[in-house]
Amino acid sequence: MLQDGSTQILCLTANSGVPLFTRGASKQLPFSVIGSLNGVHMFGDGQGVVLSSSQTDCGGRVVWRVFHDSVMLIAVNGGHRSGGAVKGHVKGEELFLERLLENVWNCMVLVLGRDELTNTRNVERLKKDLRSCFGLIDQLLEDGRQGIMGNLTHCADCLLPPNPALVQEAVNGFTQSVDSEFGCLVVHGCIAAATEKWWRLAPQEVVLLSALTRMLSASGSASCDYPVFLPQGSPTVAHRLLRFQLLPGADVCVLCGPAPSLHKAQSDLVRQFWSPLAETLRDCLAVGERCLPGTVALRVPDVLALLVVNREARRSVSCVRASADDSPAPPSTPRCWELLRLFYIFAATRYFGQEEAPVSGAAPSEEKAHSRSSSSGDFVAGFSHQPLQCYLVTEECKCYGLQTQQHQLFLLTPLSVPTFALRNVATQTLSAVTADTGF
Amino acid sequence: MAQDPPPGSIVTPDWHRCAESKDFFDRIMHKKKRKQFGLLESPMMAPHVAVNTVHYKVLLSGKSGVGKTSLAARLAGLSIPNMHYETTGIETIVLYWPVKLKENGRVLFFRLQLWDCGENALRRFDHLLPSCKEQVDAVLFLFSFTDRTSFDDLPNQIARWSEPSDRVVKMVVGTKFDLFMHSDVTQREVMQFQERQGLPVLRTGAEASDGLGDVAYFLNCLAERLWHQDCMAATLDSCPTHYREGALI
Repeated sequence: MLQDGSTQILCLTANSGVPLFTRGASKQLPFSVIGSLNGVHMFGDGQGVVLSSSQTDCGGRVVWRVFHDSVMLIAVNGGHRSGGAVKGHVKGEELFLERLLENVWNCMVLVLGRDELTNTRNVERLKKDLRSCFGLIDQLLEDGRQGIMGNLTHCADCLLPPNPALVQEAVNGFTQSVDSEFGCLVVHGCIAAATEKWWRLAPQEVVLLSALTRMLSASGSASCDYPVFLPQGSPTVAHRLLRFQLLPGADVCVLCGPAPSLHKAQSDLVRQFWSPLAETLRDCLAVGERCLPGTVALRVPDVLALLVVNREARRSVSCVRASADDSPAPPSTPRCWELLRLFYIFAATRYFGQEEAPVSGAAPSEEKAHSRSSSSGDFVAGFSHQPLQCYLVTEECKCYGLQTQQHQLFLLTPLSVPTFALRNVATQTLSAVTADTGF
Repeated sequence: MAQDPPPGSIVTPDWHRCAESKDFFDRIMHKKKRKQFGLLESPMMAPHVAVNTVHYKVLLSGKSGVGKTSLAARLAGLSIPNMHYETTGIETIVLYWPVKLKENGRVLFFRLQLWDCGENALRRFDHLLPSCKEQVDAVLFLFSFTDRTSFDDLPNQIARWSEPSDRVVKMVVGTKFDLFMHSDVTQREVMQFQERQGLPVLRTGAEASDGLGDVAYFLNCLAERLWHQDCMAATLDSCPTHYREGALI
């Protein structure tokens, strides 16, 4: 399920229903279908009803959302899905698609600014301008396949470096030197260190800026000077995102004002601050996709994949272990990522509440509809207490979710781990990850 | 600017085919592909081989969609994006290219930083153009053989660069030359243009080979002109501008 290829994003003008773009699927939906999807939403609108989501018999799902009365985004998810016990969890799919729409809107604001999107005089021009967002939107759609969870969790994907103090100091120093307070170091697409102010950006913004960095980094460019609007913090005034590739896979980013120029920052400052840290950066790169330093000891055969969320800081670390020789064969790495996402959706929507503030950007009436639909499922509604742990046994793996005041852990284990031992493995894993690293 | 050097008069053409160059080209290759260098890295030679590196900033200019990003990726040996995405700001790519000077047999590493900025971004944000112009050494004006308007737009592109000092190497590049079936620009027009503007015109297209051969001519041409310009400048104020580092670290 949730094969990303089968998710399609449609964008139309909200009042006239003119299609602006579609992304995400190789085969576009026919125009008549797009028209009907828009029409049914419009019909509801005429009756004073906000249509936010719908489901087909074979498991397909459609989610609508209007942003600032100007742009309508529709996410369509095809119904063909692979097996697995977590599948078909309807509520979850809705969460996934809703976040996706929100991310796509934020992408559009980030590149074009809100004014450009809301004061549309010339639709043809808007259509043309919107093309410049495609790179970032496609990156978002692609991310799920590459072990990036932030788009779904709205918590920044982090990498815990082996030498955090050194790296932090360098980030702070470098950021200051370009007259900014917002800076971060991105290693393998995950944040290895960031200034305090960077963490105070809205979580969605942090996630989005990480995606942008991943996109720029993947192109192999050495440095960038990108005008960006911050969807929450500064939707109408652009800032400059400067990005420097220190080593392939390690990028430093800063958000800054008019000075210094890219040329100056690069030729004077980058080497000065980062040359002494080349080896430290190589150590960070060596951490690789594991995202955790070697000092964190996991119970090797018992952990297939894990996602730890720091609820307060809205950061996460996740990894899928290179499969140990186990019988029966454990799921492949991409499948593990998929299962981890599914289990997150399952546990987060059904048992663990999401403490996310309602998203600005929607009309008031819609905001209500939105929060109603995504408040954690009916299960929680029926109880006065919060579930703290949950588990799930499937044909492919066993899953355990754990929630404390500060953290959430989502853990996948091989089938060989006895179910009664899951809790033990989970608590030990959580403390192994958090104790040493202070995450 | 003073007279252009005839091609091949300053640097050894096709040097990458000579056996003696292997040691140098090995430094910019990794597993038969071009090596990618972060800003903290540079090609490493054995300690007893002192090779100077000269730094240059090269700007790619041209209408949206002519293939600025593709050309940069191609010259640096990166994978060429198979889908066209607009560049919504400035992106730079760094590449190293070893060159042997004819005059004295000296070998230099050219470190070329290619600056690529989307046309729409340039129009929307005023601060980008000055940033591109800052201390630029060469400008490549791109047009696409499949897009007539991009060819007609060249004089405008070139006019943007009339005011700064003439210490900027200017070259014209025709992209998508391989799609000659759809060519919108005739060879005669290109020749006429070349004569009228007095600028050299290079042609590129997406050939299949991924070796050095398809970029060597281009990069040697560019290096030659950059070096020539520096030498002319040096004779004027006797201060070579682009030596930064003595030996490579």
